[in-house]
Amino acid sequence: MSLRARTLGIAAMGTALALLAAACGTSSPSTTSTSTGVTSSTKPSSLSIGFILKPVSNPYFAAMNQGAQAEAAKLGVPLTVDAASNLADAAGQANALSALVAHGYSCYIANPVDSTNLVQPLLQARSQHKPIVNVDLPISTSAAQAAGLQLATYIGTDNVAAGKLMATQLASMLPSGSQVAIIGGLASDPTSQARIKGFNEGAAGRLDIVQTVAGNWDRATALADATSIMETHPNLKAFFVANGDMALGVQRAIGTVGKQGKVDTTAIIGDTAVLQEVKAGTMAAVVEQFPYTIGALGVEACTAAAQGKHLPASVATPAEVVTQSNASQALAAFPKPFQSFSDPFTSLLGH
Amino acid sequence: MLSNRLPTWQGARLLGSRPDFWSNWTALIALAVLCLVFGIGASHFLSAGNVEDVLTESAVLVILAVGQSFVILTAGIDLSEVAILTLGAVLLGEVVTHAGGLGIGFACLAAVAGGAAMGLLNGLTIAKVRITDFIVTLGALGVASGLALVLTSGTPTQITSNFLLRLSTGSVGPIGYPVLVAVAVVIAGHWTLFHTRFGAHVLATGGDREAARAMGVRIDRVRIAVYLISGILAGLTAVLYTARIGAAEPAPDTTLLLDAIAATVLGGVSLFGGRGTILGPAVGAVLLTALANGLTLMAVSQFYEPLVVGLVVVGAAGLMRYQRG
Amino acid sequence: MDVGLGQEITKPATPALALEVDDLTKSFGGIVALDGVSLWAARGEVTAIVGDNGAGKSTLIKCVTGIHRPERGTIRLAGHDVDLSSPEVARKAGVETVYQDLSLVDDLSVVQNFFLGREDTCSLGPLRWLDRRGMARRVAELLSLLSVNVPSPSARVRRLSGGQRQAIAIARAATFGSHLVIMDEPTASLGVQETVRVENVICRLRDQGVPIILISHDMQQVLRLTDRVWVLRGGRLAGGGPTGGLDGEQLVALITGVKDRPA
Repeated sequence: MSLRARTLGIAAMGTALALLAAACGTSSPSTTSTSTGVTSSTKPSSLSIGFILKPVSNPYFAAMNQGAQAEAAKLGVPLTVDAASNLADAAGQANALSALVAHGYSCYIANPVDSTNLVQPLLQARSQHKPIVNVDLPISTSAAQAAGLQLATYIGTDNVAAGKLMATQLASMLPSGSQVAIIGGLASDPTSQARIKGFNEGAAGRLDIVQTVAGNWDRATALADATSIMETHPNLKAFFVANGDMALGVQRAIGTVGKQGKVDTTAIIGDTAVLQEVKAGTMAAVVEQFPYTIGALGVEACTAAAQGKHLPASVATPAEVVTQSNASQALAAFPKPFQSFSDPFTSLLGH
Repeated sequence: MLSNRLPTWQGARLLGSRPDFWSNWTALIALAVLCLVFGIGASHFLSAGNVEDVLTESAVLVILAVGQSFVILTAGIDLSEVAILTLGAVLLGEVVTHAGGLGIGFACLAAVAGGAAMGLLNGLTIAKVRITDFIVTLGALGVASGLALVLTSGTPTQITSNFLLRLSTGSVGPIGYPVLVAVAVVIAGHWTLFHTRFGAHVLATGGDREAARAMGVRIDRVRIAVYLISGILAGLTAVLYTARIGAAEPAPDTTLLLDAIAATVLGGVSLFGGRGTILGPAVGAVLLTALANGLTLMAVSQFYEPLVVGLVVVGAAGLMRYQRG
Repeated sequence: MDVGLGQEITKPATPALALEVDDLTKSFGGIVALDGVSLWAARGEVTAIVGDNGAGKSTLIKCVTGIHRPERGTIRLAGHDVDLSSPEVARKAGVETVYQDLSLVDDLSVVQNFFLGREDTCSLGPLRWLDRRGMARRVAELLSLLSVNVPSPSARVRRLSGGQRQAIAIARAATFGSHLVIMDEPTASLGVQETVRVENVICRLRDQGVPIILISHDMQQVLRLTDRVWVLRGGRLAGGGPTGGLDGEQLVALITGVKDRPA
């Protein structure tokens, strides 16, 4: 092999490695920390928080991360964040948490990929006598009890309630008995299951649910599924979609087959793209969750717990219905709730 | 063996002399069986509207399968194909967002160029630096996905473009534009493989690399070229994919890569290289798309879908194996 | 040229010589593989190069096919001095080799293998495509000329017998080897019947004037098939001459170095 070819090849590999190094920051276990150097009203604490998250490539969890970072900066507490590499990466996330625990923090916030994958690493945290705050996806109580794991608190949206809220809203907008189809996330995802369960409960007796499919949290899959479902059920009146990204895909499918205005899309969401659609009137109604708030509350809770305060067993973060009438309000307040919400940790933290 | 029992008429003699007849046509036969099953089980499966939808939907996978075929035919593999698609989509989005004045055409070109660059990088590293293709393309998968995430900070970018909208929804009669693009790629791929010197060298490189080298085939160039082709086609599919969903998404659909490889193998391309066609993988891609579509139409429970898909894929591969004897 | 066989070796007039090797020397590290070897091969003849393992046969062949470059000595093809710096250069100079592994791609057809690396193409403007029909025709003609029997030119090489594959490889080398065709143990792995068939092909090639160099361990084959034989021993030329006047024992004696018994 000629010298020139080899040089070219090595240059190519070098470029690849450089790019890989640069890209290493975000796709897999990412580590971001806020320094205590940020000015805040509280004096810099010796506290530190470790937060294990679902992938930040998903806007919902990106918002959660943002909320946590902002609150940590405000409180002057160093925060280290690590994330799963994809929405189904149970083992990888557990490994990442083990690494955090090995490093040692004053308190841990855990948003697990499923209800049991973080139980083992969290036991290690428990053995260090550090408090654990569970956010968003609830850790299975039976698994926790069996392992002897105690959680300081659970903070999250009641997904069942959110699903029910969405169904109630939709039923009020459609004639009784209208055909509706559900597009969920990954079939095995408890968040998706909870939302679907809630929707089913709320729709019972009022709406006719003709089909439930798994969209796998993927926009293109949701688009394809919605197209097929509309083929099979020409009288379909609406879709209930388990997240905002998929909802945009469903909307596109509706537009492509020319049923804009005839088929509604509703979803449980946490980002602005969908809110814009609601404001524009192209999406009928959504239930907005506030992952930003979940993240912020998580940090507050952890700080309080690390200071030895006793936390409420669970805190439900708001889920609010957004229709065209209050969409502007929602957008203005984004990412925070636009209806009043009392933060239970403010008093605990003493400010 | 089945081919021994073929009737001895003209056509059969022609076919019988090609022992891979059955493996090449397995995908088509499986597709026919599928159409039969779903046609009976789901009333809308064979409706004109649904057939159009399935074909349009399969365009992306068909083109990815063609790219993957060229690579696998040289006894290589490209694990980064879908990640390059993602990167291409993100590049398209970035151009639209930050340099909108350059026009959508330039943005699409950026996607294809990005794909070509990654493909070239893959090819050079594999052929010249001599690192095995599995590792290199696995690394490229990480690099491309990572770059996509870095450029977008993880958030999808909505893309509103009349051109892209027309591309994904427009059609010539009942045939959607994406289908036409896919067909063009398949024809070009088939012609290149079987009617050009380069194609003959691709088959030789995969069939017996040392023999080909001994006969003066430029192995390195061929290997670089196939990865370049795969990258360019991935960039092209980025345009189609973005047009279809209306956004540049930085989080790739991980099943798409396995589907592309499965479509290629179901289409009769040997993973050891040197044997296969372009038409086969194209049919394989349509098969997999139709399968998912049919299962949705039949309202198969979401918990059963992966199971059924897996069984069908193994079944089809088994059929191929049995026929080959 | 003294070659110790008690026979005169007369070099024919130069234009008839397909290959001339003069004082060829090649070492690897401290080992001298070839030490001043001089020999030649004429058109219309099958020339054998024999010797024990390690005698320098393969090194000599590798020098002639451009894999190694000799430290000293010259190589002449059809009277012209050549510098065979790479296998590609040697191929272009008209030297074709049929190695023991045949360099055939199993999954490709006879035609595809035949023209591998030098496919015939048609062109129209910037487009260039394979002339599949033309190549198939040429192969069919060539094979019938050499009476090589294959099911069809489009048959995959995988389906051919060992002898058929050997014949294809030889026919390919003969087609493109304008100056020299070298065959390394062509019938080593074949049965009796197939060996006969392949030897017939070789003879037919010779009759058409193709210069052939044969490397073989089979003394009977050498005596049967070749017109001239060169013996290498320990990197040097131990002897050589027309095959007609030799018998097996003399050949073996030259190869192993046991002195001739007095006549």
